[in-house]
Amino acid sequence: MSILVVMFAGVLVGALVFPEKYKKHNERLQVVCTVLLIFSMGVMLGRREGFLQQLASMGLLSLLFAVASIAASTVLVFLLTRWLMDKKKGGK
Amino acid sequence: MVLLALAALVLGVAWGSFGPAGTPLDLISDNSDLILYALMFFVGISIGLNKTILQKIREYHIKVFIIPFGIVVGSVAAGVVCSLLTGVGARNGAAIAGGMGWYSLAGVMLTEMAGAQMGSVAFLSNLMREMLSFFSIPWISRHLNYYSCIAPAGATSEDTTLSMMVRYTSEEVVVMSVFNGIICSAVVPVLIRLCYSL
Repeated sequence: MSILVVMFAGVLVGALVFPEKYKKHNERLQVVCTVLLIFSMGVMLGRREGFLQQLASMGLLSLLFAVASIAASTVLVFLLTRWLMDKKKGGK
Repeated sequence: MVLLALAALVLGVAWGSFGPAGTPLDLISDNSDLILYALMFFVGISIGLNKTILQKIREYHIKVFIIPFGIVVGSVAAGVVCSLLTGVGARNGAAIAGGMGWYSLAGVMLTEMAGAQMGSVAFLSNLMREMLSFFSIPWISRHLNYYSCIAPAGATSEDTTLSMMVRYTSEEVVVMSVFNGIICSAVVPVLIRLCYSL
């Protein structure tokens, strides 16, 4: 929940005081944070007891579940939104 | 961005597996919560800079539930199909896919309910879902539509994968992504238990 409070604080800053001309810098900071987050996730995984062995033995089975659920969700959401929602706003 | 993400992941795993502990690099991984907070703050600024978003979201009403609905149904259906292909049992399969990317929770819940092996698959497959989201969102935004970019992210669409939405979709879809993440995250624990108990 606190994460939403932080985000809401950001929304207020963006709406009230943040200068438009620094928009690009703000986006660049997001990329930096994302890369650092993914790195941390990697470190966390690497430190996990037996992670590489787990990956070797269950990796393929897990990958199948991951790919299938991504594919099915994406296709279904694509069809539903194309059918029910404004095409222009969700456009490419 | 995709290459950067991949490099960060590989370097992270390598460092976590083989690197020495207690170096300044640990400051990054030990404070990942703070990094996530910072990211959310910056994403908030992006949303706040766009003055018309909230008004647009209000126009959608009940339609904002279409995306989480599609994600839940698609994920569980995929889990059942995969379980038939691999023989892990439909309840297990549905529960694993019902994690929708929330790997820590899905791993723990499946370990408790179905044992260490299913717990590992739940952990790994949901982790892979989150990782693969980073890599599939750019493609989906080019070839399908912006709304569909939220689908792979599932329950992670309001935190880790949100920065990809900011980069590859519109501010409006970013707000829907936050909404979707909240709904999906609330649904995950209930869905896993429900799928497993059916």
